[in-house]
Amino acid sequence: MSTNGSRPLLEDLNVIVAGQGGDGSLTVITLLAGLLRQRGLSVYTERDVLSRIKGGHAAAVLRAFSGEHYCIGDHIQLLVAFDEEAVRKKARYLDEESIVVYDDSIGPLAEQLLPEGCRVYPASFSRLAMRHLRRELFKNSIAFAVVGRLLGLEDEAMEQSFQNRFGPAGGRILQYNLEALRLGFEMASQLGLTAGRGLYKIPQNSARAQLLITGNEAVAFGFLVAGGRFFAGYPITPSTDIMEWLQKWLPQYGGVVKQAEDELGAINMALGAAMTGTRVMVATSGPGLSLMQEGIGQAGMAEIPLVIVDSQRGGPSTGLPTKPEQSDLNIMLFGGHGEFPRIVLSPGHPEDCFYLAVEACNLAQRYQCPVYLALDQGLSQNMATVEPFKLENVRVDRGKRIEGKELEKLPVYKRYLLTEDGVSPYSAPGTPGGLSLVTGNEHDEFGFVSTDPIVRKRMMDKRLGKVTGAKDLPPARTYGNPQAQVGFIGMGMLFGPILEAMEQLEAQGLRAQYLQPRTLWPVQEETLRFIERCQRVYVVELNATGQLAHLLIRHGAQGHKLQSVLKYDGTPLRPREITQRVLQQEEIKA
Amino acid sequence: MTQTFTPSRPIWCAGCGDFGVRGALDKALDQLGIARHNLLVITGIGCSGTVQNNVVCYGYHALHGRVLPTAIGAKLANPTLTVIGIGGDGDGFAIGAGHLVHTFKRNPGITYIVMNNATYGLTKGQPSPTSPVGFEQNVEQELDPILVGLSIPATTFLARGFSGWSEQMERLMVAAIRHAQAGKGLAFFEIISPCVTYNDTYRDWRTKLYNVDEDTHYNPRDRSLAFATTLELREKGRLPAGLLYEGEYASLESSTLKAEHAPPALQAVEPRGRLEDYGKVMQSFVG
Repeated sequence: MSTNGSRPLLEDLNVIVAGQGGDGSLTVITLLAGLLRQRGLSVYTERDVLSRIKGGHAAAVLRAFSGEHYCIGDHIQLLVAFDEEAVRKKARYLDEESIVVYDDSIGPLAEQLLPEGCRVYPASFSRLAMRHLRRELFKNSIAFAVVGRLLGLEDEAMEQSFQNRFGPAGGRILQYNLEALRLGFEMASQLGLTAGRGLYKIPQNSARAQLLITGNEAVAFGFLVAGGRFFAGYPITPSTDIMEWLQKWLPQYGGVVKQAEDELGAINMALGAAMTGTRVMVATSGPGLSLMQEGIGQAGMAEIPLVIVDSQRGGPSTGLPTKPEQSDLNIMLFGGHGEFPRIVLSPGHPEDCFYLAVEACNLAQRYQCPVYLALDQGLSQNMATVEPFKLENVRVDRGKRIEGKELEKLPVYKRYLLTEDGVSPYSAPGTPGGLSLVTGNEHDEFGFVSTDPIVRKRMMDKRLGKVTGAKDLPPARTYGNPQAQVGFIGMGMLFGPILEAMEQLEAQGLRAQYLQPRTLWPVQEETLRFIERCQRVYVVELNATGQLAHLLIRHGAQGHKLQSVLKYDGTPLRPREITQRVLQQEEIKA
Repeated sequence: MTQTFTPSRPIWCAGCGDFGVRGALDKALDQLGIARHNLLVITGIGCSGTVQNNVVCYGYHALHGRVLPTAIGAKLANPTLTVIGIGGDGDGFAIGAGHLVHTFKRNPGITYIVMNNATYGLTKGQPSPTSPVGFEQNVEQELDPILVGLSIPATTFLARGFSGWSEQMERLMVAAIRHAQAGKGLAFFEIISPCVTYNDTYRDWRTKLYNVDEDTHYNPRDRSLAFATTLELREKGRLPAGLLYEGEYASLESSTLKAEHAPPALQAVEPRGRLEDYGKVMQSFVG
């Protein structure tokens, strides 16, 4: 933190707004994020909610910064708490420099809940809203005014953001919210926070046309741009946003989004659509993925191109519907009965989600098999600012689709023709001359059911060989010092925290490098090479059993070098936690 | 011309009702002049689930019980195809029962033929959802898919045939395929197709079935009459056969797809030419 006069300049601001579901914490964060983006800052937001429509502890977190981050930071400058539970739940993220704005409508805050030195601004948002506007729900607008003042944002800018947000609703909604904002300014002044004189100074960078996007949205958009035109799903947290985004946009491009009766229906609708040559995708989360297994096996056996997004949440069973975990790795890699080819891709941030969604569509049609996109709740739902995607670079590859003259030239067409690379040309229904049989039974080249041992073995080898021999799967990305002895491997939402932990470790004199595997299956040689060149590799995962580490060991990684850093309590892993756990380990080793 | 697969001979037992169904299907396809490259036959698992191998078509052997969602996906992606789903009573009314209800309610433009033999033949004679009480220790009341269909207001074509009555079966087959072809929605056609090995009921059905097509007082456009007739006959241990109900409701594809776009399967996938549009979508994230 640098200082500018008496007010510190905040290059990296972290704010939590917390209360009960329905208190409007997310609205405060969204409005704030909008204002800070106008100042040219990048933002990252996270939500922490329960699986219920209203009530229960709910929080939204915002990080605004110059530079690049893909997670919430360790140092929370500001907590806005609408109740005591919010303080109890979030106090562990605070330190002596944190500021708490507390809604004391019910009573004063028991300050022993907070770390020493932490400053509290008592502000009776709820009471003020009830007294002047007769509706408690305006308390978040009052709180927004106080937070804005505290951060030194201009009153006019806050008013403008209300006009933008509530203007379309118009009438009394806008009027009441503007009144709430005015009440908030008054309250701020009484707290000593006058206009333009906040506790902090927020940088004013040149504004950039960055996207503010979640991983779910980026996947959905990538699917659209890749020519994806059929999506089937069943509502399930945290993947539902994908279906909702596509419901809005896909029909405008002649695409179909079908909400099915269950995940069995969804995956089989997808298979039917994929049969016609259409690019298809399904998206689900743990329990839905369990149901979809039969369809994924069918796609593997019948050689039907299919993209499956798994937005992982806490399992098993219904588990923790709204909380992050990375515990579906095993089911993505090994789920389903029998043995069939599949590809599992793993993006690390929204930009990666976009490009890998495009690639997943290409790979599915090129290899005629199921392709997973492994997301997790954090990557799916947290918002990040990213550079606009390079749409002109998107390439589409439909693989060995055969029709017209090319098909006519063939003396004989066989759907499951044995070829060198194992991939057979495919003709979609509606194509003259390409009649074929597609089946989930073992079959001969024509698609007739066969139990002949020679046919069986050839077909198994054909299918499995397609993917094990693939040389064009998305490569890993490496970060940090390539000579460092300490390495990191981690996926999904851990991308940001690992990078930041490496900076913290570097500041402590420990250099490290990071490999972000983008193809989890088949296991890539480059991952094993990375482990070879490190002395120790911390495999960071949000699960209890170290599924990724076990996968790597099974595929030849030097197990004695791997050290698991695991978390499975339903909360995100912060950079500082990684740093601390690595330092502990390093001390033991030293 | 490119040679493709030569339809194989059926695997059914001699005398199986399914032979009749396959014959009626082939005749109807010829009579309607359906180009075989535009025909997608989607079958389930069971004896009936092999019929695509015996027909000139694009054939897809779906998962057990999933004929209907698969057929819906294919039809929505490419409504220019003639999509015919075929399965048995176990496939459609047990493991696939959930999909049946939702397909009735969606009214997609597909023909769904169920060869009902009231047993699981392929696994050697276990009771199915349409088996009567007492069959192989069955204690459950049988399920009547026509009654289920009648109870859902979106159904537009419900018929029952009998593979022992080939003339009627062929006529209903043509009507069923034509109904879906004409964009009117789902044509549900149950055919009682006895299993000569595990549940030979030919003789029973000849007397137990009541042919509504020959009843001048019957009106297939009257849903409550169809209900009442079915319930009355069931009281007497009988079932109605023929065109039981025919009505109107928007088909799924007509309410889902927009005329200004080519259907999903027939669209170009390359982003070229759409970059500007996609750029506008991306602008929605700039906010």
